[in-house]
Amino acid sequence: MAVIELKDVTKVFGTGSAQVKALKDVNFQANKGEVVLIMGPSGAGKSTFLTISGSLQKPSSGLVSINGKDITKLSAKQSNNSRLNKVGFVLQAYNLVPFLNVQEQFQLVDKVKKQGNLSKEELTDLLKQLGITDLVKKYPNELSGGQQQRVAIARALYANPEILLADEPTASLDSKNVEEVGKLFKDLAKSHDKAVMLVTHDPRLEQYADHIYNMMDGKMAKKK
Amino acid sequence: MFLAIKEIKREKLRYGLIILMIFLVSYLIFMLSSLAVGLASENTQAIKSWNTQEVVLNKNANVSMNQSTLTKTDLKKADIGNNEALVGENAVVAKHAKRPSVSSQFLGVKKSQFIYKNLELVSGKKATKNNEVTVDQDFKVKGYKIGDKLELNGSKKKYKIVGFVKNAKINIAPIIYGSMTTWKKLRQGMPDVQASAIISRTKGYKYNHENAKTYPVKQFIQKLPGYTAQNMTFELMIGFLFVISLIIIAVFLYILTMQKMHNFAVMRAQGIPSKTLVGATINQSIILVAVGVILGLIVMWITAMLLPAAVPMSFTPSIMIIGSVGMLLTGIIGSLIPIRSILKVDPAKAIGE
Repeated sequence: MAVIELKDVTKVFGTGSAQVKALKDVNFQANKGEVVLIMGPSGAGKSTFLTISGSLQKPSSGLVSINGKDITKLSAKQSNNSRLNKVGFVLQAYNLVPFLNVQEQFQLVDKVKKQGNLSKEELTDLLKQLGITDLVKKYPNELSGGQQQRVAIARALYANPEILLADEPTASLDSKNVEEVGKLFKDLAKSHDKAVMLVTHDPRLEQYADHIYNMMDGKMAKKK
Repeated sequence: MFLAIKEIKREKLRYGLIILMIFLVSYLIFMLSSLAVGLASENTQAIKSWNTQEVVLNKNANVSMNQSTLTKTDLKKADIGNNEALVGENAVVAKHAKRPSVSSQFLGVKKSQFIYKNLELVSGKKATKNNEVTVDQDFKVKGYKIGDKLELNGSKKKYKIVGFVKNAKINIAPIIYGSMTTWKKLRQGMPDVQASAIISRTKGYKYNHENAKTYPVKQFIQKLPGYTAQNMTFELMIGFLFVISLIIIAVFLYILTMQKMHNFAVMRAQGIPSKTLVGATINQSIILVAVGVILGLIVMWITAMLLPAAVPMSFTPSIMIIGSVGMLLTGIIGSLIPIRSILKVDPAKAIGE
C-alpha cells in the first residue's frame, strides 16, 4: 500500500474572474523506500502540491491519504499532529530555528513530541551518516548552506516520519553537492524506509529517483 | 519556556535593550510610588499614629484643624472618654541660635489623654512642664539635641526639648508636642478657646453642638491642604508610566514577533503547536519584565540607602510588591497583543520561500 496517495485532487484559489486552478485532478502515490521526484517549472503548482501533501492546506476537492487515512477532513490540531508524526519537511531555505544550536533543534522536537523520536543511538548514527557529528554545538549562522541542509534533513528525520518532503533541496548547491544530496536522499529512503518526495526543477536529481512526476499548469503526469 | 530562554540567551543585545527599558520604567514607578507614599505619610503620620477614627472641628473651619477653634460653649456637652483627646494646633516657626529654623506644627495635648500617653519616644522623655516640648525626630536629623531651647514664632519665651518622638508629622511639617497652656499662649487674643479639635479613636463617635461638627478621618485627611491634589498628581504619573510600559512591551514584542513570523510559519509547518509558540512569547515577556523589575528593585533599594533622610521616600515592601505585580501584569497584557498574529500564522507560507 502507498504511504501517501492523492486521488483527483484539485485546488482552486480565488473566485470569479480571479479564480486560479493550481492543481487539476492530480493523482499521485509514493511508497516507503522510494525517492519520488516532482518536477516542473515555476508556477506549475509544485508548492501547492507539497502543501497539500504535507497537510499544510486542504484541497478544494479530491482525496489525500496517508497510510490509507484521509487527511483532508482533519481539524487544524489533527493536521498539526499529522505533520508532527507522519511528515518531515526539508524546506528551501533550510529554515533552522536561528537561536537554537544543532543539538537544541532536536531538543525542540523532543519538547513537542515526547514519544516515537529517534533514540540517542539512532540519532548518533544519523548524524554520522550525514557527516554532521561535529556540528552539534553550532548555530545555524555558523554553518555553511550544505551543512544547514544536512541538519535540516536530520531534524526532519529525527521525529521519525514516514514521509520526507523536500522543497527545492538543491536550489543553491553546486553540481558536486547536488550529487551528494541526491545520493543521501536515496540512501535515507532505503536505510530508513521512508517515502522521500523531492519537489524540484533540478534535472540533476533525476538519476536518484525511483519515480518522476512532471507538473505543468496544475496537471501532473508520471514520467518514470 | 525552552524557546523563550534559548532565544533571550542567544539574542542578548536585543533583549538586553528591552530589559534596560523595562528596568528604567519600573525604577521610575518605584521611585514615584515611594515618593507618593512618603509624602502622603508625612501628611498623615500623626493622625494615623493616633489611630484616629473621627475628628470634631469648628464647622466653619473648612475641615482644617489649623483653622478650627472650639470654645467652652462648643465643648460644653462633649463626652471626652478614654478614646478621645483634645488637640490644639498652631503653625509655628521654631528657632534656635545655632540650628536651622524649622517650620512646624505646635500641638497642645493633655497629659491625661491618650495622645500624650501614647507618644512613641525615640529618645529623652515626654514633656511634663509648660516650658518643655517633645518634638518629632526630624528635629534630630536637622541637628537639634535634647536640652536645646526653642523660640516659637519669635516670642521671647523659650521651650526646652526634652524628648524626640517618631511618627509625628502633619501636613508634611514636624510636630512640637507641648501643653495646652502653651498652645493657648500661642493663640493669643482668644481667651475662651479650649482646643482646635477632638480626636476620637472610636468609630462612629459623634459630637455636634453649637459650632462643633464631627468628620470621619477619611474626609478630614482628604481636606488636608494639598493632600488630594498631590496624591492625584502622583497617581496620574504612575498610571501613565504603567500605560507607557504596556505600550513599550507590546510594541517591542509585536515588532519581534513580526520579524519572526517566517520562523513561526516554519515551526508550525513542522508540527510545533501554536500553544508552544504562544507560551514562548508569554514566557519571554514574563522573563523580560521579571528581570527588568528585579533590577529596578535592586537599584531602588540602593537609591533608598543613599538618599538623605530629608527626601520623603517610603521604600516599603507593599509598594514594591504592588509595583512588581503591576509590571508583570502589564508584561503579560503586552504579550497578548502579538499572540493574535502568532495564532493566525499560515504554516503553508513556509513553503516556497
